[in-house]
Amino acid sequence: MSSSDQVNRLFAMVPYLRARPGVPIEEVARTFGITPAQVVADLWVILMCGLPGGMPDDLIDIDMDAVEGEGVVHLSNADYLVRPLRFSRDEAVSLVVALQTVSEIATGELQADAETAAAKLTEITGGEVEPVYLAINTGDEQLRSQLLDAIAAGQRLRLTYDGQARGETTRPLIDPVGIEMRDAVAYLQAWSLDRDDWRTYRLDRIVAVETTAEQAADHGPAPELGQGWFADSDGQVTLELDAASAWVADYYPVRDAIRTDNGLRATFAVADPGWLTSLLLRLGSGARAIEPAGAVSDALAAAQEALDLNHSVCGSVPPGSATN
Amino acid sequence: MGLVAPRKSERLINLAILLLSSRRFVPRARIQEVIEDYRDKDEASFERMFERDKDELRAMGFPIETGHNDVLFEDEVGYRISPNDFELPPIDFTPGEATALGLAATVWQQASAAEQTAGALAKLRAAGIEPDAQRLTALAPRISAREAAFDPLWQAVIDRKTVKFRYRDADEVRVVEPWRLAWRNNSWYLLGHDRTRSAPRVFKLSRIADLPKPSGKADAFQVPDDAVMAEQMRSLERASADEQAVIAIRGDRAPALRRRGTPHPAPVPLPEGFTAYQVPVSRGLAAAELASYGPDVIVCEPAGLREKVLDHLRAFLAAHGGER
Repeated sequence: MSSSDQVNRLFAMVPYLRARPGVPIEEVARTFGITPAQVVADLWVILMCGLPGGMPDDLIDIDMDAVEGEGVVHLSNADYLVRPLRFSRDEAVSLVVALQTVSEIATGELQADAETAAAKLTEITGGEVEPVYLAINTGDEQLRSQLLDAIAAGQRLRLTYDGQARGETTRPLIDPVGIEMRDAVAYLQAWSLDRDDWRTYRLDRIVAVETTAEQAADHGPAPELGQGWFADSDGQVTLELDAASAWVADYYPVRDAIRTDNGLRATFAVADPGWLTSLLLRLGSGARAIEPAGAVSDALAAAQEALDLNHSVCGSVPPGSATN
Repeated sequence: MGLVAPRKSERLINLAILLLSSRRFVPRARIQEVIEDYRDKDEASFERMFERDKDELRAMGFPIETGHNDVLFEDEVGYRISPNDFELPPIDFTPGEATALGLAATVWQQASAAEQTAGALAKLRAAGIEPDAQRLTALAPRISAREAAFDPLWQAVIDRKTVKFRYRDADEVRVVEPWRLAWRNNSWYLLGHDRTRSAPRVFKLSRIADLPKPSGKADAFQVPDDAVMAEQMRSLERASADEQAVIAIRGDRAPALRRRGTPHPAPVPLPEGFTAYQVPVSRGLAAAELASYGPDVIVCEPAGLREKVLDHLRAFLAAHGGER
């Protein structure tokens, strides 16, 4: 912790404590994101500060007996520090971008509230422009609103969902619990009654939401989205990618990647074999699966089937006669 | 209590209070007399210490003015902080806006922006506002980035400081004026002016090979207007469709393709379960995309596109030692 962090914090802490006589130390610690021990250390610094003059009456007063005895703070004699310091530029933009994110994912009243709160903050900070462009993928607003209403009402839903991994539209029956974001993509977290397990659904791939007459059941706390994203998938594949195919490592979560003479050797988590087949077919000759050796067999069978099917339906065209 | 008050924080706070509690400019001699750490210093060491302290307070956002109280005695330089410039301006939020602020507190998953948001919210609490998101458990908006380059770039964009980093594998160091961070197509990008190339450029964060280092002064460049930025953003959009294809799709499969298309009469008799669609595709990218669906799609028209898809599949089979 640098002294400028501490000084910045204390200029907010003094008016904060002034306005809340008897606030518990734990609450101060939570507000400022520091430990209770650091709060007490901060209070000892404040005790040594005040108006020039050097008389005891000039210093800010804190009842340290109450701090050490009851764990609460009473601060007085700081009438010239009524308001906190202005926002620094980085504080203002971080909070405004956070509010914009809230407004993107929210609906109705909350969305409007987040927008007006951001506008008020922008006004008092002199209208700093925001440092990020977020194209947050939150799907259709009306669907989002339907989902949030169903969560609030505890309703069971039937989704129409364009699953990406299997390349198939499904109609899962679900108990929705929340909407969360990873990177800048919004997901519905729900209990899938078909799979009998927690599942996440990308909001932009939900095509329709139907309410059912049934109430959602309690399935206990949902797992946290984020770190454990692919942790539950044991499957993985190592691909040797040529330079033109190396983009794949930017696009999908990679467990490990090393440069090779003409590209990249990357290891991917495989949650669904359908995803791997589709990826290998897309990359064509640009990727070789090197481990496990059998990982490519489904894709080989699919490619052969696709060739045969196209030939039988559309008639055989000799190889190499492609026109532009 | 065994905790000792850090003297430097104490000195900076007392200096700030001295300057903000006086309406008149406080002469240097008075400052040296009042602040304990300055009192026993010789002129040169006082000078050094005071200049450093002043710079630190200014960096924290304290607007320290320099001036003279008496126009006739201009040699006596003094300092003050005007409360109007130092205090957070009056601001008020509705209960709904306070809820949005509480939710905004949880958005940032990146260390630097999360700390800055917490700092801003602590100041709002000090101004008597109570952000509260207790009742919103169904929404979890989050911004995160896997790329280590995000944090230093975020700070550099806010500070408008030039950054240096190594891009891709090149040994060449790029010197960039960072304008904006942008989230598009599953990845983070930096938009900026590349001084090395004397042109605007877009950089993918996952291809930055080291931690970007800021250099030079803050506010070192102007961020261009929205039109220039929009031009840069366009280079991140996907290739647009420039060809119409007739594609037969098996049942509920290939949703991403099916949703883009419109039903179309089948140009040839189709196997059971297939439906024909007219789908806009991008000439350059369509073959790999269509190949990724394997035997779930039949490319009816144009014949040239079908042959490109089949060539792509044949190349895949050949690369993996398959037939044909």
